[in-house]
Amino acid sequence: MGLDMDPLLQAWSYFRRRKFQLCSELCGRILEKTPLDQAAWSLKTRALTEMVYVDEIDVDQEGIAEMVLDENAIAQVARPGTSLKLPGTSQVGGPSPAVRPITQSGRPLTGFVRPSTQSGRPGTMEQAIRTPRTAHTARPVTSVSGRFIRLGTASMLTNPDGPFINLSRLNLAKYAQKPNLAKSLFEYIFHHENDLKNALDLAALATEYAQFKDWWWKVQLGKCYYRLGLYREAEKQFKSSLCNQDMVDTFLYLAKVYTRLDQPITALNLFKQGLDRFPGEVNLLCGIARIQEEMNMTTATECYKDVLKQDNTHVEALACIGSNHFYSDQPEIALRFYRRLLQMGVYNCQLFNNLGLCCFYAQQYDMTVSSFERALSLAENDEEVADVWYNLGHVAMGIGDVNLAYQCFKLTLANNNDHAEAYNNLAVLEMRKNNIEQARALLQTASNLAPHMYEPHYNFAALSDKVGDLQSSYIAAKKSETAFPSHADTQRLIQQLKQHFAVL
Amino acid sequence: MAEEKILMIPTVPGASEPRKSRLKKAPELPILERRNWLIHLHYIRKDYETCKAVIKEQLHETKGMCEYAVYVQALIFRLEGKIQESLELFQTCAILSPQSVDNLKQVARSLFLLGKHKAAVEVYNEAARLNQKDWEICHNLGVCYLYLKEFGKAKEQLNNALQLNRHDLTFMMLGKIHLLEGDIEGAIEVYKRAVESSPENTELLTTLGLLYLQLGVFQKAFEHLGNALTYDSSNYKAILAAGSMMQTHGDFDVALTKYRVAACTMPESPPLWNNISMCFFGKKKYVAAISCLKRANYLAPFDWKILYNLGLVHLTMQQYASAFHFLSAAINLQPKMGDLYMLLAVALTNLEDPENAKRSYEQAVIFDQCNPLVNLNFAILMYNQGDKKEALCQYQEMERKVNKLKESTAEFDPEMVDMGQKIGAALQVGESLVWTKSSKDSKIKQRPPTPCIQQQPLGSNQALGQAMSSAAGYGKIMHLPTGGVGLSQFSKPPSLPLEPELGPDE
Repeated sequence: MGLDMDPLLQAWSYFRRRKFQLCSELCGRILEKTPLDQAAWSLKTRALTEMVYVDEIDVDQEGIAEMVLDENAIAQVARPGTSLKLPGTSQVGGPSPAVRPITQSGRPLTGFVRPSTQSGRPGTMEQAIRTPRTAHTARPVTSVSGRFIRLGTASMLTNPDGPFINLSRLNLAKYAQKPNLAKSLFEYIFHHENDLKNALDLAALATEYAQFKDWWWKVQLGKCYYRLGLYREAEKQFKSSLCNQDMVDTFLYLAKVYTRLDQPITALNLFKQGLDRFPGEVNLLCGIARIQEEMNMTTATECYKDVLKQDNTHVEALACIGSNHFYSDQPEIALRFYRRLLQMGVYNCQLFNNLGLCCFYAQQYDMTVSSFERALSLAENDEEVADVWYNLGHVAMGIGDVNLAYQCFKLTLANNNDHAEAYNNLAVLEMRKNNIEQARALLQTASNLAPHMYEPHYNFAALSDKVGDLQSSYIAAKKSETAFPSHADTQRLIQQLKQHFAVL
Repeated sequence: MAEEKILMIPTVPGASEPRKSRLKKAPELPILERRNWLIHLHYIRKDYETCKAVIKEQLHETKGMCEYAVYVQALIFRLEGKIQESLELFQTCAILSPQSVDNLKQVARSLFLLGKHKAAVEVYNEAARLNQKDWEICHNLGVCYLYLKEFGKAKEQLNNALQLNRHDLTFMMLGKIHLLEGDIEGAIEVYKRAVESSPENTELLTTLGLLYLQLGVFQKAFEHLGNALTYDSSNYKAILAAGSMMQTHGDFDVALTKYRVAACTMPESPPLWNNISMCFFGKKKYVAAISCLKRANYLAPFDWKILYNLGLVHLTMQQYASAFHFLSAAINLQPKMGDLYMLLAVALTNLEDPENAKRSYEQAVIFDQCNPLVNLNFAILMYNQGDKKEALCQYQEMERKVNKLKESTAEFDPEMVDMGQKIGAALQVGESLVWTKSSKDSKIKQRPPTPCIQQQPLGSNQALGQAMSSAAGYGKIMHLPTGGVGLSQFSKPPSLPLEPELGPDE
């Protein structure tokens, strides 16, 4: 083409088509020519921000320090059903641990893992350090939420000639006077550089300049406070922002603050308020469902159904309802939900794994093995491979082929050495072969790896009881009872043992 | 007494003044044993915390020489499950007074609870040397020998114990030994004696009922189970056994009401769900039956009876692929059963694989001794395949079995009689006089006449009887005291039971 486009127009067009790399390079060239071009400068900050942008609502990561050392909840011993921190008392309804696997004591496995998924929390610092690193959140737990800092440094490394903006040399007060520049600059500082202090300074100056009338700046201030752990200040900002303008985002942020303060009922009320303003808003409905899922499985399913009525391609709702049906004796219906996900173009290891399981338990034998094969080929890391082999082991047990099951569980362990369920099931298979010592060793490993699972404890107790070692049996049975208090067989065993201890 | 209480309760937290006043009152008590009565009082009231405080004080005062305080401390430790600590304390007691039989007995008991049965036997023997006439020593020796698998000695000791003092526990252990040796008659004798001496013990009544059930003496079994249920209406074992008996006689609704009681206490029990589903099956509610069975199978994937019933229900529903799947799984877990191979063959016939069906029937004929249905179905298959010679051969085998069964007054399924007559006619062996009990002759006309459809009704309806008996058998086997390990459930999709040992039958 003989005629060249205006570079700024082209950069803008790149930005609108979300070609951020090209856009930022082009802006860089414009800025080399005319260093004082504010439009190009602002466009480049926006492109750089968009490259690493993660929606702040979904970034909710608690490090070990926040879980253990942070004391934001007001009530230490809340009434059952009013707290997210007491899983044993707050969990009502839904299938028992004998049917549905649990992650940490009391929380059933969820159908959809979000970055903010926290299933149960450790009691003490020591316990938090000893348990596997992915046991509480969707990613490995760090000491404080230090990932944000890492994010910033990592993105800087990609720029060969150093950072684009040197924050320490900016005169924030000057930029706060120019709302057009200030907003993109704030987003850059917050999302790209992760420099909370400077972001907060800028936001404070800007909101002052806007005479506290701009809801957007208030939300940003609240976000900064939230990140810094000042929840009450954040709450204040969000509330005052809601006075200026009703926005779905603000409701979600405020609910996030309340969740962190362990006030689920307040959060639910807030969501209901939000739904009055925005009837049928999917994110609000989904927020209700998420909170219910941590407290009451049966209501959660109802809430997720409401979500599906509004948006019938909502992946989270589909997955949660599907897993709920699977664990309440309806694998056929679960299969339909997962097939819906497949039709929507979701294509990953977990989905095929679930499809395989549903097919097997719904007696659709033609699809079972091929689904698992697909899952194996799509697995991205060793843990996923291990999980698929583990489920294949269950299928093998379903067809009565004990040797195949044995091999499958061995493969699970080869891929993931910390797979407590596989240790437990291997132990049961060893028991069937009468290798008592081996079974005991495996069960002990399993119970060390996953103290929240009742099965290895109970099996160990039953085994010890059989060979006559009643002390070990009693200790294990007690642990099993704490993991699953209403387990009838454990109760019976403990009663028996107590009788042994009492009579001469 | 009341006075004493009022006086003594303030001493408990360890305030020294009331103690001194007490000292003045009774200065003649020796210092070592001074407060044994108080320790004892707290112990028998299960007030362990206070008891421990008093013990600690007493031991501190006497520098550990108070034997009774150590003894009770050890007992409390044992109640808390700390057997190792209690063993050490009892050993201290034994050192303090080496001639006391009680101390030796307690040391041995602790060893027994720790699983060190040989050492326990040695200590008990020592204790027995000090006191010949103690039933506890004999009883515990017997139990130790039981764990060491020396049944002869165990029986001897337990009989000694019974002669000294009749105790329910001793009877139960003796019965257990008989069962481990496979001697049901002997066990029944033992339990009969036990029930005579304590007729209100539900445990004994239930076990006796189950043993009668195993022998097929239904009247007595029902009597004893009924007695057990009168004393304890929510006894899980008795409910399951009584329910399975009702099922055998076709009282499905009554059995279901019984199970409803048990389902509240044991919501995750595979045998219970198995029996419930067979009730539904009997009432021809097949879908409900399948869903109950699948729950049972989810909770106990290694239980071949549940798999067998699943296969059977799917055969009835004419879903042959699933039926094949469950039956072959059951065969993998229980390879030596004729009925399973027969049902597998029926499934295979319908899956259009007559070759394998034939091989499966051959296996069934090898393993099965008394079920004429196997041969009948085999004969039908061979007839449909055109192999009349083999069909005739199987038909004669069936006649032989039928004749044998008739001597033991078995009643035949009318459908089977019907089909047998038809195949007999087709094979031109005449309506031989095998089925003289043809009170249900009229039914013959209602049956579909074409031989091709024969197999489905064949497999199904008679197999219903099978399912019932298998459900009944379930109750039996599950609750024999021989299967020491109960069921456990696992998370993640299915659950794995630590398989209960199979009883002597089947």
